[in-house]
Amino acid sequence: MILDDKLFEKFGVEYAPNEIIFCEFEPGNEFYFIQSGKVKIVKIINNTEKTLDILEAGEIFGEMAILEEEPRSASVIAMGNVKLFRFHRDNFETILNGNPQLAYKLLMIFAKRIYDQKRRLMILLLEEPQLKVMDVFNMLAEQDPHLDLQEAVTLKATAQDISSWGGMQLKDVQKVLHNLNQLGKIELFNDKVIVKNIRDFQRVVASKRKNLYS
Amino acid sequence: MSNGANKPAMNIITRSYKHGSIIYFEGDRSDVIYILKAGKVVLTSIKIDTGEELKENIKLGEFFGVKSAIGRYPREETAQTIGDTTVLVVSRADFEKMMIKNVSMVTKMLRVFSNQLRRITNMQREILGQSDGINPASELFKIGEYYFKSGNLQQAKYAFKRYLEHYPGTKFSELALQRINTIDTGGSNTDFSSDDSMENSKENVSSKRAESSVDLTDFSIDDSSDNENINIGSTHAPSKEMDDFFSDGDDGLLDDSGFGTTEQKSFIKQKDITEMFYEAVSLFSQERYKDALAIFQKILNIKTLKNESENKIFEKAHFEIGRCYLKINDFKEAVNYLSTMIKKFPKSDNVKNAFLHIGMAFEMAGRKDKATAYYDKVVSMEPNDSVTKQAQKRLKSIENTGKK
Repeated sequence: MILDDKLFEKFGVEYAPNEIIFCEFEPGNEFYFIQSGKVKIVKIINNTEKTLDILEAGEIFGEMAILEEEPRSASVIAMGNVKLFRFHRDNFETILNGNPQLAYKLLMIFAKRIYDQKRRLMILLLEEPQLKVMDVFNMLAEQDPHLDLQEAVTLKATAQDISSWGGMQLKDVQKVLHNLNQLGKIELFNDKVIVKNIRDFQRVVASKRKNLYS
Repeated sequence: MSNGANKPAMNIITRSYKHGSIIYFEGDRSDVIYILKAGKVVLTSIKIDTGEELKENIKLGEFFGVKSAIGRYPREETAQTIGDTTVLVVSRADFEKMMIKNVSMVTKMLRVFSNQLRRITNMQREILGQSDGINPASELFKIGEYYFKSGNLQQAKYAFKRYLEHYPGTKFSELALQRINTIDTGGSNTDFSSDDSMENSKENVSSKRAESSVDLTDFSIDDSSDNENINIGSTHAPSKEMDDFFSDGDDGLLDDSGFGTTEQKSFIKQKDITEMFYEAVSLFSQERYKDALAIFQKILNIKTLKNESENKIFEKAHFEIGRCYLKINDFKEAVNYLSTMIKKFPKSDNVKNAFLHIGMAFEMAGRKDKATAYYDKVVSMEPNDSVTKQAQKRLKSIENTGKK
């Protein structure tokens, strides 16, 4: 999907390699559509720049600005020469009416995001740190439909990732990981965790969640 | 995806159900979307924060199953018919075609979706609430600092400028201005070889992006603006704030980067004890016992412990060293460290577990009598937990091998 070049005069912006498009924590009122080139989404975590994602032509970023002005949750940096469309929240409807495919794309992004955020909310609603960590593993396992849950599963995650998904202090996460590791339920690596029996974690969390409601 | 002209026409299936039929279950994966043509459909879902059951009636002509189909995730509700019911079944691709011809429908849905999303993120925020007292202003400044220190001056400048623009007159304003000046005068840091924009970055950046740049000359800093070489290590930097940032731990960058050469040089921060501990634990779980051991040993050499949690780690390191030695079959050292731990930290939660491991060390060394004594000791200790069970198990196996 590529947008009409006529729009470019009005909404087009160009960036040179390594230029910041927007920065984590600055307020945002615009969302962007990539016409050409690549951008990387990064966050500074523990004093290192971590790349969360790389987006290419046809993709959208900064879409949360449609809802309200809020600090950006990550920075976006041009990876080469990049052509973007920048749409301000104020003329959002006009833009969408003229670009049904863009509108539909946003609809898909929002549908996915609602699900992901709901899933995260379910984790946050759990009280015990151990359950939260287990449920983060469950969530990660759900995201990969090709995993065989009967076997040990390898999940790409660091303690830092788990702490941000679970809304927990890093040291609490590490404590739980250490504990699960000692019990032989998981194996820890720098960038991944092997869960020996994810079905077990699913059962534990499901039954606790039931108790939570009653 | 740019046009659908050469694709076959839409393929819409009509499907009829008897009363009480399930169209789909919560948890099903599917990529079709339904439209209610005749009859009645009820969607039942569980409210995630309260566990309440929610029921929603679908109106005639309304879509259902949209979000999960286009977001590609499992159904979140169960759809059941009431009375004889007819629905239209549309594939994801056909749904897209329909929607593209009907933008007002899409924007209507988008509004619904974005409200849902807002509600969810608000709930998240409520739960996370107090715990993340993040101040976006100083966080934005810190990002500038990160890029500044790592020599990405163009990116640093962007962050500092945005900081000044969005959060004027706040804590680090003066420092941010000085940083920008430093960058503009080329007065800093490492090599930025290919990056010619540093020479006249103001012009370059602003010509590329219409609204982007803050006019730097608007911010007057009286005493230092004409200083060609504002050096971060110099007296211009408010030292207290500098200290805050220097203690962040990326000291490796400091020495040859033109700042901090006088005051900060000898400052080498110890790797965080917690980090070390978990690195070692991770190595242990990869069965790299000797590597793990080396790090645990380093922890024991740390002289100053800052707080209770560091004390705990210090104590645990003794225990873990014992476990490492056990794994590499050095039973004597294992017993040595485990018993030291028990003596040094008699009140530790790990005492019982340490006794168990001492028992294991003796057992592996062939001293079943001693092993039995330690396992007995463990069994006699409260509470009756998994450590107790392990000791009982070991006792039993010693007993069994004894009989043979």
